[in-house]
Amino acid sequence: MGWLRRIRRTGRFVQPAGSAPERASVPDLNGSLQLRHVDAGSCNGCEIELSGAFGPVYDAERFGARLVASPRHADGLLVTGVVTHNMAGPLRDTLEAVPHPRVVIAIGDCARNCGVFAAGYGVAGAVRDVVPVDVEVPGCPPTPDQILTALRSVSGR
Amino acid sequence: MTGGLTAAVGLTGVAVGLFGVVRGLGPVRIGWLVPLIGIRLQVDQLSGLFLAITGAVAFAVGLYAVAYARAERLPRFALWILPLFVAAMLLVASAGSVSTFLLAWELMAGASLVLVCTEHHRPAARSAGVFYAVLTQLGFVAILLALSILAAATGTDSFAELAHRAATLPPATRAVVFVLTVAGFGSKAGLLPLHAWLPRAHPEAPSPASALMSAAMVNLGIYGLVRFDLQVLGPGPRWWGLTLLVLGALSAVYGVLHAAVATDLKRLLAYSTTENMGLITLGLGAALLTRSVPGVAAIALTASLLHLIGHAAFKTLGFLAAGSVLVATGLRDIDRLGGLARRMPATTVAFGLAALGASGLPLGAGFVSEWLLLQALIHAPHEGHTLLALVMPPAVGAVALTTGLGVAAMVKAFGVGFLARPRSDAAAEAVEAPTGMLAGMAVAAAACVVCAVAPAASGPLLRDVLHQLLGAGSAPRLGLLLRLPGAAGSVSATVLAAAMGVAVLLALALALAATGARRRPSAVDAPLWTCGAERLTPRMQYTATSFAQPLQRVFDDVLRPDTDVRIDHHAESRYLLSRVAYSGRLTDAIEDRLYWPVVRLVRTVARGLRRAHSGSVHLYLAYGAIGLLLVLVLAR
Repeated sequence: MGWLRRIRRTGRFVQPAGSAPERASVPDLNGSLQLRHVDAGSCNGCEIELSGAFGPVYDAERFGARLVASPRHADGLLVTGVVTHNMAGPLRDTLEAVPHPRVVIAIGDCARNCGVFAAGYGVAGAVRDVVPVDVEVPGCPPTPDQILTALRSVSGR
Repeated sequence: MTGGLTAAVGLTGVAVGLFGVVRGLGPVRIGWLVPLIGIRLQVDQLSGLFLAITGAVAFAVGLYAVAYARAERLPRFALWILPLFVAAMLLVASAGSVSTFLLAWELMAGASLVLVCTEHHRPAARSAGVFYAVLTQLGFVAILLALSILAAATGTDSFAELAHRAATLPPATRAVVFVLTVAGFGSKAGLLPLHAWLPRAHPEAPSPASALMSAAMVNLGIYGLVRFDLQVLGPGPRWWGLTLLVLGALSAVYGVLHAAVATDLKRLLAYSTTENMGLITLGLGAALLTRSVPGVAAIALTASLLHLIGHAAFKTLGFLAAGSVLVATGLRDIDRLGGLARRMPATTVAFGLAALGASGLPLGAGFVSEWLLLQALIHAPHEGHTLLALVMPPAVGAVALTTGLGVAAMVKAFGVGFLARPRSDAAAEAVEAPTGMLAGMAVAAAACVVCAVAPAASGPLLRDVLHQLLGAGSAPRLGLLLRLPGAAGSVSATVLAAAMGVAVLLALALALAATGARRRPSAVDAPLWTCGAERLTPRMQYTATSFAQPLQRVFDDVLRPDTDVRIDHHAESRYLLSRVAYSGRLTDAIEDRLYWPVVRLVRTVARGLRRAHSGSVHLYLAYGAIGLLLVLVLAR
């Protein structure tokens, strides 16, 4: 019964929920936010923080946010990284495949303003230059806490 | 004209067969036709059943054959051989004496061999012809020996008297006859390990001939087993039943495994024939083993005979539909088909019905018989029968595995071959088969539906056959509800179909009501989601090879695939690849291990013997003189 003892010893390590942040100006999704993640040219720093946000400690699924496998199942896109020339088309196609009403959340400095990759030869621009963006999360990379706050501001929980 | 002749011969077969089942046709002797021995015909219930099945298959094929021959430009002689082949098969089933039987059997083998070699300009067809000729003749030798021994030991030629006198034979003679008949008839039925001609000859023969061979001729192998091992030699010792059961189980599992990984549509159907004949033989073996419990033996035998009828129906349809695909596209390779559902809807429905039957699912032609077979195996008594208690659970496992893999094989053939998008230009430009071919398929499809929905229709036919083989006993009642006396089980395909129909109608009605009640947002046109790629291409689709790949990995030890990956590295660095070539070839492991060593041995011996053929007349004269001297000395 070692695992029972371990559970008791570890105690609760999930971050406390805190009060819900202010709602972003996006369509009301009734507290359920299914997201398809698109890596448009990221260095994978944001991905590591994303996995933290959806991991057991921050547990974004408490607040209705969930990663799904297809844009057809999604309420919106979670875009990381600068948009490279190669990924600009696929990013537009992916957004096209998401049913309305939909939201686009750009995560990290690169997604907001190209970050350190600005003026790179393969860079098409920030996410905003390619598809309309509803919510942006600053940081290089942003902390899971910041990501969580952005997700809660969209899901409204 | 010739197609009409084939159909007419087939109809005659059905009529004579049904009449034979009901009343039996007494022995007819035609003395003048063959000198010394004459021809002797007798149709009893068992013969009648096989006559009816063969005739029905021939009727559907006859309708189909004319349009097929025109589309494929088959030579005229092949069309004339077709009715002869059917007549020979009918003669085999209605033979009343050993000599007539052997004569008809050889006629059937010869006619089918000509049909296999119809397209002899292709090397594959020639090789298949040689394979078929050798195996069928070896089988014939075994049958010839067995029946000669039987006839000599009993001192009679006619089947009726054989059955009376065979009971007094010494056990050793009976055992020899049993082993030889199992080898001979097993090779015709495509049982392991003498199945190798099936997956070669069926794909290479023209489709009507494949349908006749696979749905009617292999049945006659089963006919031989039932006639000689179950009826004439009567109840045999335990090991006979065990032999048939094990052979059947091995054939079923091996056949279905190869069907699951085959990519040639007709080769897949041929292996499926081995599988189904295996199931039927398994049922015969179970019937022999449970002889002491008449109820269970009757269920097993009913299952076998019902499966025989169902298999004839769905395999005819399968080969006819495959032939129609071949005519439309020139392809048998499932990997290059696809998208036929839109271009050839009637053929697709036909093949779908056949695949449903072959997969043994409810509402398919093979469901009730496989269910009966499982019931027989499960309800075999355990107390006091150690052998049955040991053998039956693995047999149930074999049947279950066979059915499961059969579903995979048929889903692959139908899903990859007919649905989705065309993988080649030929498949993209396919056109529906001409009316004549559709008519043949429609007859077979109707038979499939009857087998699936109302298996009770064959009840009276089977009752008389069971009565003849097992005596008056408790045969399962094939009514609207199928009841098994002595076993707590019942099933009704008719009620099942009706319930399914009602459920579908109900769902449709509910869906209509729901759309009417709620206002829905208007439909939007959106491009297909392609995971970010530009557009969907046929190359992205699942192929038959990739569908079967997991199975091929799991059953690596049995299938022994021959795969080869060649990697060419870049000249400058081993980390860079310039080319990767993958080739995979699937051969029959039994054929490789068992047949080719023998073939190589024969070749070596022949090469040695060739040295003696120097072309010198003097030497040949010397051989003759030595031979004559030897004969004189020996016969002194």
